[in-house]
Amino acid sequence: MSPPRESRYDAIVIGAGANGLVAAHYLARAGKRVLVVEQRESLQEGLDVGWVPAEVVRELQLVQHGFRLEQPDAWVSASLDGAGSLQLWRDMNKSVEAIRRISPADAAKWPDFCGRMRTLASVLEKLYLAPPPDIESRDPRELARIGGLGLFVRRLGKRAVIDLARILPMSIAELLDEWFESDILKGVLGAVGIWHLKQGPRSGGTAFNFLHHHVGCALGVFRPPQSNLREALAAVGGAEGPDIMFNAEADLRLASDGRAAGVTLLQRREQVDAPLVVSSESPRAALASLGVHLDPEFVRAVDHIKCRGVVAHARLSAEYAARVRNRCFAPSLEYLERAYDDAKYGRDSQKPYVETDGAGRVHIQYVPFTDQQRDVQSLRTLGSSVADALGVPAGALTIETPDDLEREYNLTEGHLYHGELTLDQILFMRPIPGWSRYRTPIEGLYLCGSGTHPGGGIPGAAGRNAAREIL
Amino acid sequence: MPKRYDVIVIGGGHNGLVTAAYLARAGKKVLVLERRPRVGGAAVTEEIFPGFKFSMFSYVVSLLRPEIIRDLDLPRHGLHILPLESTVTPMENGDYLAAWSDHDDTRRELYRHSPRDAEAYDEYGHLMHFMARAVKPILGMVPPDPTSFAPGDLAALLRLGKHFRGLGAERLHALVKLMTMSAADFLDEWFETDVLKATKSASGIIGTFLGPRSPGTAYVLLHHYMGELDGVFRAWGFAKGGTGAVSESIASAARAFGAEIRCDAGVAKVLVRGRRATGVVLENGDEIAASIIVSSLDPRRTFLQLLESNQLPPDFVSDIKRFKFRGSSGKVNLALDGLPTFTCMPDGAGGKLHRGAVSISPSLDYVERAYDEAKYGDFSRRPYMDIVFPSMIDPGMAPPGKHVMSIFVQYAPYHLNGGWTDAKREAFGDAVVNTVESFAPGFTSKILHRQVITPLDIERITGLSEGNIFAGELALHQLFFLRPAPGWAKFATPIRGFYQCGSGTHPGGGIMGASGRLAAMRILKDGT
Repeated sequence: MSPPRESRYDAIVIGAGANGLVAAHYLARAGKRVLVVEQRESLQEGLDVGWVPAEVVRELQLVQHGFRLEQPDAWVSASLDGAGSLQLWRDMNKSVEAIRRISPADAAKWPDFCGRMRTLASVLEKLYLAPPPDIESRDPRELARIGGLGLFVRRLGKRAVIDLARILPMSIAELLDEWFESDILKGVLGAVGIWHLKQGPRSGGTAFNFLHHHVGCALGVFRPPQSNLREALAAVGGAEGPDIMFNAEADLRLASDGRAAGVTLLQRREQVDAPLVVSSESPRAALASLGVHLDPEFVRAVDHIKCRGVVAHARLSAEYAARVRNRCFAPSLEYLERAYDDAKYGRDSQKPYVETDGAGRVHIQYVPFTDQQRDVQSLRTLGSSVADALGVPAGALTIETPDDLEREYNLTEGHLYHGELTLDQILFMRPIPGWSRYRTPIEGLYLCGSGTHPGGGIPGAAGRNAAREIL
Repeated sequence: MPKRYDVIVIGGGHNGLVTAAYLARAGKKVLVLERRPRVGGAAVTEEIFPGFKFSMFSYVVSLLRPEIIRDLDLPRHGLHILPLESTVTPMENGDYLAAWSDHDDTRRELYRHSPRDAEAYDEYGHLMHFMARAVKPILGMVPPDPTSFAPGDLAALLRLGKHFRGLGAERLHALVKLMTMSAADFLDEWFETDVLKATKSASGIIGTFLGPRSPGTAYVLLHHYMGELDGVFRAWGFAKGGTGAVSESIASAARAFGAEIRCDAGVAKVLVRGRRATGVVLENGDEIAASIIVSSLDPRRTFLQLLESNQLPPDFVSDIKRFKFRGSSGKVNLALDGLPTFTCMPDGAGGKLHRGAVSISPSLDYVERAYDEAKYGDFSRRPYMDIVFPSMIDPGMAPPGKHVMSIFVQYAPYHLNGGWTDAKREAFGDAVVNTVESFAPGFTSKILHRQVITPLDIERITGLSEGNIFAGELALHQLFFLRPAPGWAKFATPIRGFYQCGSGTHPGGGIMGASGRLAAMRILKDGT
């Protein structure tokens, strides 16, 4: 670990995830001297999953630094009971053809469904590229902005307004049942609705979660793109970019008047000063140690952030990674619902939902977080059910449970998004009601992670919004 | 030439009767047509076994709007509400949780379970009380159409926005939480005692096809907090003579204002000429003309049965087709030789237990498991139940020394695997009786007669589609300007002169009468 280059910065960003790095770059570009402190020894490997807004790419000139966005084609494939598989493509006509083989009725509705969902996602995209609307504000500029949003939505037409009000609170099962009959198609789409939620497909609000993960996707594509965002950001070095320090576990330090004063680097017992500290950690982790300095109501609200990790990750050995790409194992909505039933009572799904990406990473749901010791047998059972679903030997998998994720990456309850994306935890309710503008009660301390608006699955959006709010 | 009426109201349930009474009061010549031999719809009292009277379906009164009681002077027409004071929830370990009419007693009882919860209870009560007040004006307003640019709609939307901003940040946030969270999650933020959360969340699942952990149930929690009797929030009551007496009193008020009510007169079709309603055809073929026709039936029956779908815009028809009913509750009515003794409270707290409600909701997991079975098409083997003994409050309901017991049961899905049969109905009844028996041993031997009502029976008898007691699920996407369909939530329909006034319209649900009243206001405003 090299020492920080200076003992005084304009701003310190805690955490070198996508949001932390994006926030740091925006601050650096605005002329601030910025230090990023990361407790791990290097950038986390792998690609960033989700929409990277074009604004971020343009404003940080990422293309020059090797930024790449990938969207696999076919974007998903699911084995069919009899034989063969259902594959969905970026090309609308190819998808329609594929669906026609399992259900002509569903194939006929596919283009219309995709169009309706794209329109709704475009509303979310608009909402996500700025701080959430402040509905209590009396500031004429803010009111004008809210009015503008309202007008934007109305211009999309009557149908869009009704869809928006009607569909967001629905369950993904209700939404898909209205459109389609094929179990496998509904399973493949419905799975997105439960991503990172301790909810099943029949729970209200999962239709919103489905749309949340459709932002930034092309028409007819319901799996997010992947990018090398962090890698590209790290490549912006030198004078333009922030200093990044690894192996640096840092604690916020307050001045005697209660403002943020910088951080203490724990291993080095060294202090770095900065009047501005921006944390990309989960709000619960970032604010936990500050209890005594905060209003009890605020602390209560932070404690109540629902952050129930239910997703385990696995890596496939290289040999198998290439064989099972973008494979989704979610045969029906009922399959997903039954997987959830187990989690509801605190058990791992006996038959979990499993999906692979293009690079050998596996998403396994539901595996509820526990702070107890897991017994070896239950892990073995989980491993073999995942292996069965993918048709690979159990030895080809290395599984990380939410408990592992909490330990390893300091993710509260192992929740990748730092807080579930349920309707009571989005927009002006995220991370907690009344504090959605990236500020905290501690002057000089800001939040910029997935726990803030617009939340997980959109690397960089929260970081950009936070930096712009700070500036 | 049949006698000419200004208005025909189809269906003599409480909402139809309220609409009729208000229109008659305004001087219209009103005819109410009821298919069954008596008025009331799902709010009827029937002597099912000699000497034993039952509120056959809905059994408690709380949501009936006070302005309706006042405007129609219902007490003069025989409405008399007796308070239902307490709720006892037996637990599986033999203990219980009780909420008594006396606030201090309740607090002491809660303190026994958790001092922390006893502290939180008052604050929670204040918040819910306030939220109910905040939402109340919405129950009395015609929902504005957010897609319309009409000045009236824009002004109403603006007023609504102002109203909510006026609540202040903290309460606005609480409202958003109530509208979007599950009852279990919402209550988790307040309390630690499982049985308290279970019994509270149970009121969030009534009439829905959701479990206490499903988002959207916190709103139903609030909906039930809006009950208002004599201006006292959250007071549940029991109508003297059963809920049928409520319907009878509204019918009596309507007649006093000059309305005519005809029973055994089912309506087969609404007559439409040139996109305008002109009258109705009865099931016996008679035609009756009127310039305004109002249906209090649920949306599915109103639009898909009384009309031909080619008389309506195709978009509207598909909106109505996807309006969800999914009845989930049943009812078991028992005639008893004597009162059951509950293990958790052998002395019945000096009669207080039996004069109040007994809630079979011992834990959150218990209620959630009951839902799991229904999710996959079975009735709950150990269901959630809300039990009352009407004869303890109104002795006229049973012969001397005997009792009637009303058990509201959830879940009993309308779409049961393999469909409902007589054998399955009895199996469902057995599950209910056996579950009660486990909390009150010896109870079964006191049963003289038993009536089991499945959602299919509710549909067959009252006409409520899929047996949904709210004439359409109270889900967030089926409320306010979406109830029953976007663009048609203001009681009018695509057919001129044809209106809707049942619980399937805003605000819907419970013996509230608000839909019926709002519809009458709308009709009077439109003129003829």
